[in-house]
Amino acid sequence: MGNVTPRLDYAALNVGDEGPVVSHELTRTCLVKYAGASGDFNPMHTDEVSAQAAGLPSVFGHGMFSMGLLGRAVTEWAGHGNLRSYGVRFTKQTWPGETLSTRIVVTGKEEGADGKVVTAAVSLENQDGEVKLAGTATVLAG
Amino acid sequence: MNLQDYIGKPTGAGRVHIERGAVARFAAAVTDESDVYRDLNAARDAGFDAPPAPPTWTFSAPFLGTRPEDQPDDVTDGEGNPMMHLMTELMRSGGLVLHGEQEFRYHKTPQCGQVLDWSGVITDIYTREAKGKTMTFIVMETVFRDEDGEPVVTEIFNLIHRGA
Repeated sequence: MGNVTPRLDYAALNVGDEGPVVSHELTRTCLVKYAGASGDFNPMHTDEVSAQAAGLPSVFGHGMFSMGLLGRAVTEWAGHGNLRSYGVRFTKQTWPGETLSTRIVVTGKEEGADGKVVTAAVSLENQDGEVKLAGTATVLAG
Repeated sequence: MNLQDYIGKPTGAGRVHIERGAVARFAAAVTDESDVYRDLNAARDAGFDAPPAPPTWTFSAPFLGTRPEDQPDDVTDGEGNPMMHLMTELMRSGGLVLHGEQEFRYHKTPQCGQVLDWSGVITDIYTREAKGKTMTFIVMETVFRDEDGEPVVTEIFNLIHRGA
């Protein structure tokens, strides 16, 4: 690899600090794009007729789309190439028409053999504050 | 077959190519418009040799970058992914398959042009009762390694069957 530099300033970060929020309105087009780009063609995400036949109100979002959107926010915050781990638990389905917003909150700092590592609680919620997925990211700071 | 008998079974193995077109399209699909995923010069400015793959890319990699001509021998002895067999078995009595948890551990950042070899294994299976329904958790781990055999990304994830 080349020479990736951390974006976060370790000394200036404090527990409780928040990263920038990314908000995105989920549309059916988002789901079709994600299906095509990821290869996940489960019809529950792209085929309204099949989804309704299965008893759902409409198609619903891929969990991995949500994780990808939140991953974008974490990357924009910490800088490309600075993620050390990123894990979530999926708690609720996402639905077209919802506005999804990312949340990044610093929960810890540790300087060790691996460098200056910042831990953050990360989550994605809709306009009503319903959490869709939540987890932890660890990133390198400089 | 007893549920415990599935623990330790390989889920599969394969070789994936990280291709620029696929990476740029994937980045767009997760709403990330950064030049770093598209423009070689922007990637170099960010400290990479080539555009990096977005954080969740490896989850989709086997669907995007697999070439039939360079795949390793089948590690499932022709039986296919044992997780699929188990889920098919559980779904005979109805229910729903859910993706419960997903974690990525980054040892290095995957980059376009790289060829990664992945192999997966079932690491745990357990059941829980919730609201009168049986939840069966299948925990899996997939490791992606570079041309030198060094781990690049480790994925730990589960799929859950929620009984009808």
